[in-house]
Amino acid sequence: MMRDRLEDFALASPGLLLIGLGFLFPIAEMVRLSVVGPDGGFTTLHYTRFLTDAYYLGIVWRTVYLSLLITAICAAVGFPLAYVMARVSPRLRLWLVVLIILPLMTSVVVRTFGWMVLLGRGGLVPSTLWKLGFVGRNFSMMQTEAAIVIGMVQVLLPFTTLSILGVVMKIDRRLEEAARTMGASFMGTLRTVVLPLAMPGILAGSLLAFTLSVSSFVTPSLLGGVRLPVVAASIYDAATKTLEWNFAAAQSVILLVGVLLVLTPYIKLSGRRNG
Amino acid sequence: MATLELNRIVKAFGPVDVLHGISLTIESGRFVSLLGPSGCGKTTLLRIIAGLEGLTRGSLTIDGREVTHVPPEDRDIAMMFQSYALLPHMSVRENVRFPLRMRKRGSRAEQEERVRVVLETVQLAHLADRMPRQLSGGQQQRVALARAIVSDPKILLLDEPLSNLDARLREDMQVELIELHRRLGLTTVFVTHDQEEALSLSDTVVLMNGGRIEQVGGPQDIYASPRTGFASEFLGSANLIAAEVKDGSDGKRAHFASGASVAVPAATPTSKTAQLILRQEDLLLLPPEAAADETFMASVVTRVFLGARIRYVLRVGDLRIKCLAPGTDFYAPGETVAVRVRDGRAQVIDG
Repeated sequence: MMRDRLEDFALASPGLLLIGLGFLFPIAEMVRLSVVGPDGGFTTLHYTRFLTDAYYLGIVWRTVYLSLLITAICAAVGFPLAYVMARVSPRLRLWLVVLIILPLMTSVVVRTFGWMVLLGRGGLVPSTLWKLGFVGRNFSMMQTEAAIVIGMVQVLLPFTTLSILGVVMKIDRRLEEAARTMGASFMGTLRTVVLPLAMPGILAGSLLAFTLSVSSFVTPSLLGGVRLPVVAASIYDAATKTLEWNFAAAQSVILLVGVLLVLTPYIKLSGRRNG
Repeated sequence: MATLELNRIVKAFGPVDVLHGISLTIESGRFVSLLGPSGCGKTTLLRIIAGLEGLTRGSLTIDGREVTHVPPEDRDIAMMFQSYALLPHMSVRENVRFPLRMRKRGSRAEQEERVRVVLETVQLAHLADRMPRQLSGGQQQRVALARAIVSDPKILLLDEPLSNLDARLREDMQVELIELHRRLGLTTVFVTHDQEEALSLSDTVVLMNGGRIEQVGGPQDIYASPRTGFASEFLGSANLIAAEVKDGSDGKRAHFASGASVAVPAATPTSKTAQLILRQEDLLLLPPEAAADETFMASVVTRVFLGARIRYVLRVGDLRIKCLAPGTDFYAPGETVAVRVRDGRAQVIDG
């Protein structure tokens, strides 16, 4: 028995070591840095600076509401997509999965530059809108919140869709058939049977999308530009441009705590469901 | 309650025809079972009636209204699935109310009242607030039944609803289904591969084989006079024996297995290629000294004791036949017996 436990520990040790060195240690260091003042002593200055400045609060607000919007769009698009994928033939499903994962195979920078081409002045999207008469003039969609949302949704949609797909695949098809024989239309069946049963997947996928989008940096910076900074970009600026490491650490801690606050109720919720 | 008419229904999955033109009229209030081995198309036919499966050719009407291309939710039917298909995220009460809610029958209070009445009918009123996973198989089955009858459908479709229950519970449910049908008079179509279930429950049996209707009739009727070899073998697993029908001094006899013969009805046409049907339970085993004109000799190959009955496998010449004897008739393997067929029970069909 003792031997077994020892061997288990030996097997787990490389992974544990990696987590300790690569995750716990930097986090601890970050927390320490965030409360060190200019004189080397303890201070909460960095936190009060961030939380009392309207400029930074504006950044937090933008980050949160853009993330919520991105998450909502991912869920709203991902659920029907996942449902269709779950109900087509295995062959076609494989192709759809490949199609959905394909964007993840390219670097985030390359993908974002693609959007810059499409959304910039004279790009495909604005010029099409102009030619169709939806807008009065040719314009640039770059440096707008819409650009950030479009770019982020594309990145995060696979995560949401695949989380939902896993759950929808497990829903017994006969439940839908039963609902149809009981007078529910196709849409009624989706609403009353599939949607509630897919909820765990939708929650998990949304959580994934929200945490990834709230801490994302490259896509919002490239598509939103300097006029529309998000929290991650603000941390980047503090750490690399103004070299305020302690302030950057404080912002990072705030972001981390924020994400944990969102995660906790979900983990409790799913724990109860499983337990 | 309604009449159901099927008109030359053909169903193909890709290049394979699974139903070859099924025509059938089910009168209002009947309890009809679709009986046949797995793969005979009975479940596909039920799903076509429900609207869950499209059909390749043909048409069907419910209560005089053509519903061939009407989606399931607008057919005013109810279906009970083999797996029960209870909605796992809804309580018993919500499950049973679901058809009323979707069909917008009455106010919420009226729906609740109807659910209460129906749950009492199936003796589940005390479990109304449970979730399906908290119920036993038998209880889940009753919920499924309650849900099927709550909206008073025109046609009730049952897809092997009893096959997941253990033997005792199944007998109880059979009785309950018969009583429920008598009380409500719902036109009912019941799919099963269990011939005993079909014979005991329904007032009409539709025997299917290979995507075709083999024979339609009342249970006694179809059991007593099977028209095809398949019907005789499937219903009561009769012995089907190649035989030659000849005129003799004492009337028509079917000769088989080089030497053995049995008397057959006088109306039987003489034939060299007839099929003799001998039901297992119509064969009486007698000691060899009781041999007479109307018996043939056989030897016991195996004996399976079933309690009330004993199943014997006998050898006659190079032929093996099965026999179901009373549990008191003991013969050891290897023993020779005289076999007598109950008077008038030997039948012959064209081979």
